[in-house]
Amino acid sequence: MRAAVWNRLDHLQPLLAGMLVALGLMTVYSARADWMRQLVWVILGAAAYAAATAFDYRRLRALAPWLYLAMLAMLISVRLLGRTTLGAQRWLSVGGFPLQPSELSKLMLVLVLAAYLSRLDRISWRAFIAAIGLVAPVAALILLQPDLGTTIVVVAVAMGMLFLGGARVVQLGSVAACAVVVIPLLPHLLHGYQRRRLEIFLNPNSEPLGAGYNLLQARIAVGAGGLFGQGWLHGLQGALGFVPERATDFVFAVFAEQFGLLGSLLLLAIFGTLLIRLLRSAAAAPDRFGALVAAGVFVMIFAQVVENVGMNIGLLPIAGIPLPLISYGGSATVTTLAALGLVQSVTLRRPLLLRPQAGWSGNITVRAQA
Amino acid sequence: MVAAAVLVVLLVGVLSLKLAQLQVYDSATLAGLARANTVHRVVLEADRGIIYDRHAVPLVQNTPVWNLEIVPADLPADARGRAAELAAIAALTGQPEDGLHAVLGVADPFTPARVGPDLTDAQVLAFNERLPALAGVSLAHHAVRTYADPMTFGHVVGYVGPLDDEDLKRLRPRGYQPDEVVGKVGVEAGLESILRGTNGWADVEVDARGQIVKTIAMQPPVAGHAVYLTIDASLQSATAQALAAGLQRDHKTAGASVVIDPQSGEVLSLVSLPGYDTNLFTHGISHAAYNRLVTDPDRPLLNRAIAGQYAPGSTFKMVTATAGLQEGKITAQTLLGCPSYLSYGGWVYHNWASYNLGYMNVAKALAVSCDTFFYQVAAMVGDVTLARYARAFGFGQAKAIEMPGVQPGLVPDRIWKQLQCDAPDLNSDSCRWTLGDTITFGIGQSALLTTPLNQAVYAAALANGGQVLQPTLVYQVRDAGGEVISTHQRQVVDSVPASPANLEAVREGMRQEINRPYNMNYWFRSAGVPADGGGKTGTAQWGGSGLDLPTHAWFVFFAPYSQPDVALSVFVERGELSEVEAAPIGVQIMKFFNGSRAAIHTATPKALA
Repeated sequence: MRAAVWNRLDHLQPLLAGMLVALGLMTVYSARADWMRQLVWVILGAAAYAAATAFDYRRLRALAPWLYLAMLAMLISVRLLGRTTLGAQRWLSVGGFPLQPSELSKLMLVLVLAAYLSRLDRISWRAFIAAIGLVAPVAALILLQPDLGTTIVVVAVAMGMLFLGGARVVQLGSVAACAVVVIPLLPHLLHGYQRRRLEIFLNPNSEPLGAGYNLLQARIAVGAGGLFGQGWLHGLQGALGFVPERATDFVFAVFAEQFGLLGSLLLLAIFGTLLIRLLRSAAAAPDRFGALVAAGVFVMIFAQVVENVGMNIGLLPIAGIPLPLISYGGSATVTTLAALGLVQSVTLRRPLLLRPQAGWSGNITVRAQA
Repeated sequence: MVAAAVLVVLLVGVLSLKLAQLQVYDSATLAGLARANTVHRVVLEADRGIIYDRHAVPLVQNTPVWNLEIVPADLPADARGRAAELAAIAALTGQPEDGLHAVLGVADPFTPARVGPDLTDAQVLAFNERLPALAGVSLAHHAVRTYADPMTFGHVVGYVGPLDDEDLKRLRPRGYQPDEVVGKVGVEAGLESILRGTNGWADVEVDARGQIVKTIAMQPPVAGHAVYLTIDASLQSATAQALAAGLQRDHKTAGASVVIDPQSGEVLSLVSLPGYDTNLFTHGISHAAYNRLVTDPDRPLLNRAIAGQYAPGSTFKMVTATAGLQEGKITAQTLLGCPSYLSYGGWVYHNWASYNLGYMNVAKALAVSCDTFFYQVAAMVGDVTLARYARAFGFGQAKAIEMPGVQPGLVPDRIWKQLQCDAPDLNSDSCRWTLGDTITFGIGQSALLTTPLNQAVYAAALANGGQVLQPTLVYQVRDAGGEVISTHQRQVVDSVPASPANLEAVREGMRQEINRPYNMNYWFRSAGVPADGGGKTGTAQWGGSGLDLPTHAWFVFFAPYSQPDVALSVFVERGELSEVEAAPIGVQIMKFFNGSRAAIHTATPKALA
């Protein structure tokens, strides 16, 4: 029986996650952040991973409405009780531990959306709008913290899950069209100070001397890495503090300076493999709920990797998003590891008959499973 | 699912391509920017050489002073943080913020700019505490020259000051930085290249706050050479005291005195009064204090000893005497009359005495300073020959002493007079040299000018048998390790073309002058100084021609009579009676000199190191 369980597990996925965690700890150490604390979070995250794997994810489906309410309650309490740092309310103190609910809410939203979408055979316009209605208050609450980065991830998760859950391109396109119309109006719908916060957030470089400084310093660090990197603990830009937020938002630049193009490509390869692995878990899931959970976790990690690396190398605008499993930060690390554990839980409970025999059987769609 | 997998591959591919561009294609450029970020070049100031007297008494010290330096590029990047930091700096230095903006506005963004005045100890402590919170700010200490007894030594040692635009243009090619100092006057300026040393540099790694993390490479600075002057500090003080006391007694405000070794040309003391506090210039002079110095009617900034040009008056008579003797117009025994006046070309030229002093030889004429005697000699010798002898004694020549601003004085002649003339026709009578010019030239008037330094060299030439020496202020130069770089060598510039016997006749006149009872001899006896030597007073008129003109008082002297080892000049600006005002000052200087003769003549730097 034990052997059966062992054989059912996705062995590569925790291995890849472990590699990322190890690289993350090395980078956090080199960025002179509190790596011991991060190690504690990693250990807690590993426990959460094991617990999530052991837990039967199907029982979460029934809990989804409660999860949704808990999530809203958490985000509202942040607005009312939260600690303000750097001009934003993002932190909640839970038993003395600082907790970042918006990090946690990414995973909770995945579960809620998976539970909702799994009840539908096909996604009608009505269902589509209902799903948007579920996501909108969450996104709005996070945006008002303000935390644009996490908002983007939350919206990406919703869109990605709707897409993978079978929504039509027309439906997703209409959301995009609405966004194009509404976003320019948004500043006018907000109060003065909120608008100002949002403006500063949307354009942190509005201060003239700060213009491009963060971006430039990050790019300098990446470029200074060259092909082979300066070597671990030999990155000057990062170590001497020229790279801002070097352990969190700009951790990738610090990594790239030390490990060069080869290290960066290796890191991207590990992320890529992990993401494909998550898709595979989705495809092999025993039920539509499990498939949507795996797909949601995939989108969640994918969006963060693209946005974080993209802004570090100047491809995308700056928004505060951690690089999963690499950036310093407890809530994000534990949430990400718990999410991966849940996907493992899905994989573990798949029917053996559906186990892909010869590698990737790419044309199994989630919709066909239902 | 396939679409998602394709998207993963696609986006990871795009990120990889951009990464390759940054880390391979742009890598060299960005790595250069990284170095510019993290590596700064710091100038390591070389210690300026110390100036000592001939016995290694330091006349200047390098005192450390702390200043605030700002690297504009390292200030907080956001406008609010920058404003807050500048406000904090302004509060800590007690300097208006506008001043900071003014300095930073013109500063190079990557080199540290010195802002604000020198910091007090309390301010240094306050900044040390706040420094970690102030990005781009550092405390830098540099050495400031502090001069010992500047009122006495200021005109010799001089001072250093910041480079002005002209200095910078001239000295930039020699590696001077805009915030360096350069010698402005005195020995500080004259020996700039010896004292300065060579600055070093260090490439240091700094963090984002501008704090130094470590030194990557450095070239240590080489300190400037130490200079041992020929000046004897105690004789300099005694000279200044004697001069000041003499001036005060006679209600005069300005004067100068130079004491020289007539065998070597070493200047033993060089004083110009009033003096001024040179430390004001190195420690930051206020506008008001500077204006006071510039507008003071006594002109304290003028170094009269080298740059004050005055008619020598009767002290010039030894030149006329030498010329008359050597040119065969008179002999040591020739007797000429000394009437109360003589007339030439319809003009009457008076003696200082209103009665006839009778016939006398040249020595007696020098001793009583008979003007009419020397009118006759000058008329016999002629202006051209007289000018030649004057130049042979060193008149009209700027002495190449080790400080800037040395003035030559003036030996007039026919061509000079014509060139000076402002009449429309240069051949008109008013432009022509007259016999009257010649005979007043003979008693050190006419347009003749000299300086106290020239007078001391002149006295030394009379002392040593006619050798005009190169006067010097520098006994020895040593490097920072104490190795001797150079030692002063005696240098003869010119020889007076006169036989020893003729010079002896002139010297005899000088000996008689100081031994006249009830006159000069009184000062020597009352001071307890043996009148063993030769001296000559002079009361020179200035400010045009006519009677009752203002005068300057002179005294030149050497001792002992045989084998002289000291010669000096004393000058009292607006002095009215040289025997009463100038000569006693010289006697007081000699009193000190006799008391420490052996010590003064021993230059001891050799025993150091």
